Amino acid sequence: MNRFMRWLGIAVVVFIAAPLVIVVPMSFSEARSLQFPPPGYWLGYYRAYFTDVSWLVPTWNSILIASATTVLTMALVVPATFALVRHRFRGKSIADLMMLMPLAVPHIVMAVGYYSYFGDLGIVHTHLGVILAHTCLSVPIAFLVLSANLKGFDRTLERAAQSLGASPTRTFIHVTLPILRPGLVISALFAFIQSFDETVVAIFISGRGAETLPRKMFDSIRQEADPVIAVISTLLFAAVLIGLTAPLLLSRWRGRRARIGTG
Amino acid sequence: MSTYLQLSGISKIYGQFTALEAVDLDIKKGEFVTFLGPSGSGKTTTLMIIAGFETASSGAVNVAGKSLFGLAPHERNIGIVFQNYGLFPHKTAAQNVYFPLQMRGWDKAKGLKRAEEMLDLVGLKGFGHRHPKELSGGQQQRVALARALVFEPSLLLLDEPLGALDKNLREQMQIEIKRIQRALGVTTIFVTHDQTEAMSMSDRIVVFEKGRVQQVATPLELYHKPETRFVAGFIGESNLIEATITDAAAGEAGNTALGTVEYARTDKVASGAAVTLMIRPEHIKLSRNPVDGRKNVRMKVETIVNYGDNALVIGKVGEQPMRVRVLGADVVIIREGEECCISWTRDSVYVIAN
Amino acid sequence: MALSIASLSARKNMWPWLLLAPLAIYMAVFFLVPLADVAVMSVTEPRPTLANYERVLTTALYQRVFVNTFATAAIVTICCLIVGYPLAYLMANSKPRTAMLILLLVTMSFWTSFLVRTYAWMVLLGNNGPLIWLLRAIGMEQPPQLLFTRFSSTLAMVHILAPYMVMNIYSVMKKIDPTLIRSAESLGARGLSLFRHVYLPLTAPGIANGSVLVFVICLGFYVTPVLLGSPREQMIAGLIGNQIDEFLAFGMGSAMAMVLLFVTLVILTIYHRRFGLDKLWG
Repeated sequence: MNRFMRWLGIAVVVFIAAPLVIVVPMSFSEARSLQFPPPGYWLGYYRAYFTDVSWLVPTWNSILIASATTVLTMALVVPATFALVRHRFRGKSIADLMMLMPLAVPHIVMAVGYYSYFGDLGIVHTHLGVILAHTCLSVPIAFLVLSANLKGFDRTLERAAQSLGASPTRTFIHVTLPILRPGLVISALFAFIQSFDETVVAIFISGRGAETLPRKMFDSIRQEADPVIAVISTLLFAAVLIGLTAPLLLSRWRGRRARIGTG
Repeated sequence: MSTYLQLSGISKIYGQFTALEAVDLDIKKGEFVTFLGPSGSGKTTTLMIIAGFETASSGAVNVAGKSLFGLAPHERNIGIVFQNYGLFPHKTAAQNVYFPLQMRGWDKAKGLKRAEEMLDLVGLKGFGHRHPKELSGGQQQRVALARALVFEPSLLLLDEPLGALDKNLREQMQIEIKRIQRALGVTTIFVTHDQTEAMSMSDRIVVFEKGRVQQVATPLELYHKPETRFVAGFIGESNLIEATITDAAAGEAGNTALGTVEYARTDKVASGAAVTLMIRPEHIKLSRNPVDGRKNVRMKVETIVNYGDNALVIGKVGEQPMRVRVLGADVVIIREGEECCISWTRDSVYVIAN
Repeated sequence: MALSIASLSARKNMWPWLLLAPLAIYMAVFFLVPLADVAVMSVTEPRPTLANYERVLTTALYQRVFVNTFATAAIVTICCLIVGYPLAYLMANSKPRTAMLILLLVTMSFWTSFLVRTYAWMVLLGNNGPLIWLLRAIGMEQPPQLLFTRFSSTLAMVHILAPYMVMNIYSVMKKIDPTLIRSAESLGARGLSLFRHVYLPLTAPGIANGSVLVFVICLGFYVTPVLLGSPREQMIAGLIGNQIDEFLAFGMGSAMAMVLLFVTLVILTIYHRRFGLDKLWG
């Protein structure tokens, strides 16, 4: 591979990495506002975050809302995915496309709609409102992941289970679900992250007690550029890092243990 | 022995396409029966109908006199070994074998113990704790077999189970399966497209072609007395010669490229009938000159394939292609491109009604 | 017997609809209705009229915003391509270890929220931030304002959307059979001509996919232009937000939203006709 490509590649890597990396030292900075290089390092802003109610409440709201959204999304998506992957019926291709519709609509458009509609229903600035909205927005990604998993499912296993005496229900419980579990977990995880990070709709319909973390961060950035945001950014960034590397490390550790065991 | 598994008038139609037509079978208890046929001949469809995964368009399936109609697959108590084994990846081998017992309410400790016993029977003692992905193809096969047999099913169905194995392993497994089947005495149906496999393992073979049963017979009967042209061509090698019966009483047929041919005496055809004459290549003798007491014709040799201990001589008598199998030593007398003499006795000529 | 088989299959045909029903009803009530609400409001607020659309489409100010949005989306898409293609190439053709690390980096960027990455760029480009500091360090007396400009907004959007481009192109590159390249080389193609005639066409689907995705997302982008961009050069999403937030002009905001939606759907429909939408989110 020629030198030009390699250097270009390195430049791009730096471009991608720099913003992600920069927030980490800034979160430890002593300065009152953004200042580079930081005058000194301390954990003060970390402490500030973990003790400030005005930050902890939105954090808790986001966790709560994302969890509820995940449950609702999975409850709706799991049966629908089975219907779309395993059955043939008229209108299936339209239904397939409809599942992905929320991905095609810009969030700002949905935000306007939810602001008006939920306003009429009286559920703006409530947890319920945000949960209902976020569920719609999480459905496509949960569906995509789960349907990919389900399409790859070997149906001979279900036939085998039935031939061995398991009724369709017991087959589902003892064979289908356990094998599908990783796909379900990832699907739920994506739904959770989608809701937790969602900003635009949250800006318009969360608030006053049901404020989400992204909404609070957005307001804060606009008003005062609080250094605590660097702390939150670092924590979120660390969460992503752990989330991505942990499964890899876990499977490697498990593999090593199995080899030692059978050796 | 009376009939144990009975199929009467089974047919299966998908819209315009007839997958099975008028399938009738009587299988005795403890028999090892093979469904043999090319792809799409209907053998797997029939198996799936017995198992309950497909519903016949018409006809009935009875086991020990009781109809299976209306019974879901999980109610039929039939053991199945699928083509890709169907082992549950999230369970160990022992847990896989325990599964049918679990479904029948067996106590876990007793069930797992029985599973281990079954694994021992198939030669996998001590492998119970392994997951399928830690087992080789042949080992997975055995686990699938153990799992299908542990609950003492009324029938054992095997759907081309040996296709994915290499030749040596396949032959090993053929012997293993036969051994276990004999030991347990379970009525078995084995589906394959490999006729050598069918010939070596079966008590009887059911030959399928295009959704119909061509013949049901023991391997040797199929080989020596095929009832249709298809069976004659499918089982072993054969020379098939179109002919018309000129004199049924004398056992003579004419209107062939080989002139008048006498055939092994039989009552099943009348004069004037159009038939196919079959001669197995190993029943034909090769010589330079005509041999007394045999039917002789001259053949132009086109290709000789020498396997060392035997050789296949392919040639033409007029427009009729012929194949001859001879011992390796005998083939030295002729060369490709030459003419030679081939001969046979009338008992080697078998008549197949068209 | 025929009767029972028929009734069995009738029951079987109901099943998928039953499974689909909860989601379908939910989406109808909580997705289609709000969307319809926007459409309705665009022609009924403050009173039944088409005036909103008239104003949106003919006012010079708004027209400038549309043009600006389109132009920015186009620029961002092209930049993402310039940035993303080499990176995808690097990922597809490096040693497995290196490729894995780069993939990890891109994935991390992908999964870090838009808001966090936007904030990171605020830190980077701020007047007291590292970039200004660097410029001062190399001797520039009066470094230009970097933040709250079209430049900062565009740059941040390129960074945020690049992973979409990279992933799309990478997934296509990974599937390219290396023997294809080798046989092309054996037939005489080298360097630039190999790239132009063999590699580029093979990766074209990834480029198309990534470009459409990036363009469409960029059109409707709210967070980054609002936080980082110049207040004088707004993009349409920010404009819509203003109408709703500041002016409570639901009619105007809805009309603008409908225009944005319409353009987005047109682009996606054209793409669907040509390639099939299911490939976009593969």
